[in-house]
Amino acid sequence: MSEAATRRPNGLALFILPGALLFALFFFLPIGLMALMSVLTGNPVVAPKVAFTTRHYARMFDDPYYLEVIWTTIRIGLVTTLVALVIGYPLAHWMARIKSRTGHALLLMAVLAPMLTGIVVRTFAWMTLLSDKGVINQTLISLGIVSQPLKLMYTETGIVVGLVHIYVPFMVLTLTGVIGRIDERLEQAAENLGASPLRAFIEVTLPLSLPGILAGSLLVFALAISAYVTPILLGGFQIMTLPILIYQQISANFNVGFAAALGIVLLLISLMLVIAYNHALGLVSGQRELQ
Amino acid sequence: MMKALGSSRLSRRRFLTASASLGISTIAAPHVARADDPTLRITGWGGKWGEVMKAEIGPAFESEFKCKLQTDSAFPYLPKLQASSRSAPIYDVLHTNSNEQWAAAEMGLVEPKIDAKLVPNLTDVYPYAISDKIVGVSIFTSAIGLGLRTDKGYGSVSSWKELWDPKYNGVRGGYVIPVNSLGQAFLMMCGTLFGKGQTDLDAAYAALEKLKPIKIVDFTGAMEKMLLSGEVGLCVIHDSGIYRYDGQNQPIDFVAPSEGVLSLEQVLTITPGSKMKELANAYVNYMLRPEIQKRLAETVWYSPANSKVKLDAKYDAKLLTTPEKVSKLIQVDWKWYNERKDEIDQRVNRIFRA
Repeated sequence: MSEAATRRPNGLALFILPGALLFALFFFLPIGLMALMSVLTGNPVVAPKVAFTTRHYARMFDDPYYLEVIWTTIRIGLVTTLVALVIGYPLAHWMARIKSRTGHALLLMAVLAPMLTGIVVRTFAWMTLLSDKGVINQTLISLGIVSQPLKLMYTETGIVVGLVHIYVPFMVLTLTGVIGRIDERLEQAAENLGASPLRAFIEVTLPLSLPGILAGSLLVFALAISAYVTPILLGGFQIMTLPILIYQQISANFNVGFAAALGIVLLLISLMLVIAYNHALGLVSGQRELQ
Repeated sequence: MMKALGSSRLSRRRFLTASASLGISTIAAPHVARADDPTLRITGWGGKWGEVMKAEIGPAFESEFKCKLQTDSAFPYLPKLQASSRSAPIYDVLHTNSNEQWAAAEMGLVEPKIDAKLVPNLTDVYPYAISDKIVGVSIFTSAIGLGLRTDKGYGSVSSWKELWDPKYNGVRGGYVIPVNSLGQAFLMMCGTLFGKGQTDLDAAYAALEKLKPIKIVDFTGAMEKMLLSGEVGLCVIHDSGIYRYDGQNQPIDFVAPSEGVLSLEQVLTITPGSKMKELANAYVNYMLRPEIQKRLAETVWYSPANSKVKLDAKYDAKLLTTPEKVSKLIQVDWKWYNERKDEIDQRVNRIFRA
């Protein structure tokens, strides 16, 4: 009887089986195939003679151009994350602490509203603002403030502006949940013991909201380094990032192996970040790293 | 009787089986009905080209050859063909620009030549359409030259070299060379203009370096918008990208530089693994028919490859419709270019980065 009971499928296991299968089929299998393609000379399904090679990775590390592209991608990701955090944190704090339900609903709608429009549309909107003939430059020229249009587009700054606008809601929504769960009485206790509101925030609220800061930052960074549409439109192809290079390799150079190697590098960057996040979260919460 | 009645009672199992059968047959019915019609899978552009192909030219072909045309207009096509099986390729006929056709031929994805015995209209095409610079057959071409804003007081333009004039700083337009045929052809032109010929890459790189500041885009459609909005005043563009706004009173014009115009060919090839070879050849022949060429040429402002085509005066005046006009076309050696594409891409990506 007890043996039969142990053989009975676990209800929870059956419940997560579809999700696990989906994950395996659409996440692990493609990534596995991508990793395989990155070390092969061709596609084994269609090409007869295919061998293992490290040439795609060697090409990437032999030419400093590709390392520069990787660094540009990371730099844009880091700056976007930092700016999104600076803008998003006060907004999230306000949303978490606002007493009025209507106020909270209005703030939530304000944060979510941009997400109802597609990324392409929002990026084109930024183009109409930032281009040489755009609203900002035309206004500045007509007011006599500048004589030549400012270079707002086709720069890393232009890309960061577009990405921050798109990803701030992700930061805000992640932080709001965490800040909302922090007991306000802790801040009040700190203030009762003589701390100024700023000091109470820095020594109580901020450390307790670190898990949210880390999670939001991780999310925004991962989205920013894998963004394609915004860097291509606002960067005007003059700022090369890894996703643009990957698309270029597949669509114009037909070099799937090299594109796969670049994809693996992008994945490894994200993976290292997740590991660092786990480590930091463990240290912040006083635990060992998450197992 | 009772047994019979009982046996006809609707059980849950029967209900589910019947429902499933009904569902499958409903979904499959149109496909079953069309199962007898062979399907020719092709690629093709969207926009006006796609509209006229879908509304007139495609249905007429289907009706005449008792088949179905399945068109993929979601560019890029070559990576999809590359990923499909050689013995059962995703397309029977590949329509794309010449540089990609050469890459496809090098990978063995398309047949390098079209058989004139199977495509009789091939005998009427201009020599450029089946030259040694072409894989398959070019059914149309555009002329790559310069696009100019006529309302900015720039004066007349007659040479490619005027693109380097400092007065166009800030309003100069070009392409992302690694992904755009016009950009790649222009790079070769730079070698001719400033060096020993198309293959003089060092001269071309030096010329591109001096072309900055330049606004670069990936597609000609984006360049058209930049020119129309005044973001660029002088740019590299094909004649169709300007002539398509004919009659709309736009302050733009196409300049055919004195050094010659580059050829942007619309090329058809047949895939070696196609199971519809006969139909594929019939399609290529059909697209070269004078009446089809005329209809498409006058819709999208492409110069027809068939020398027998007589266009209306308006189109005839601007497009390359005589041997003399066609002789001004400069074709690019895409085989040579593709063999060096990685090296060229790395270099031009560096030149144009901000």
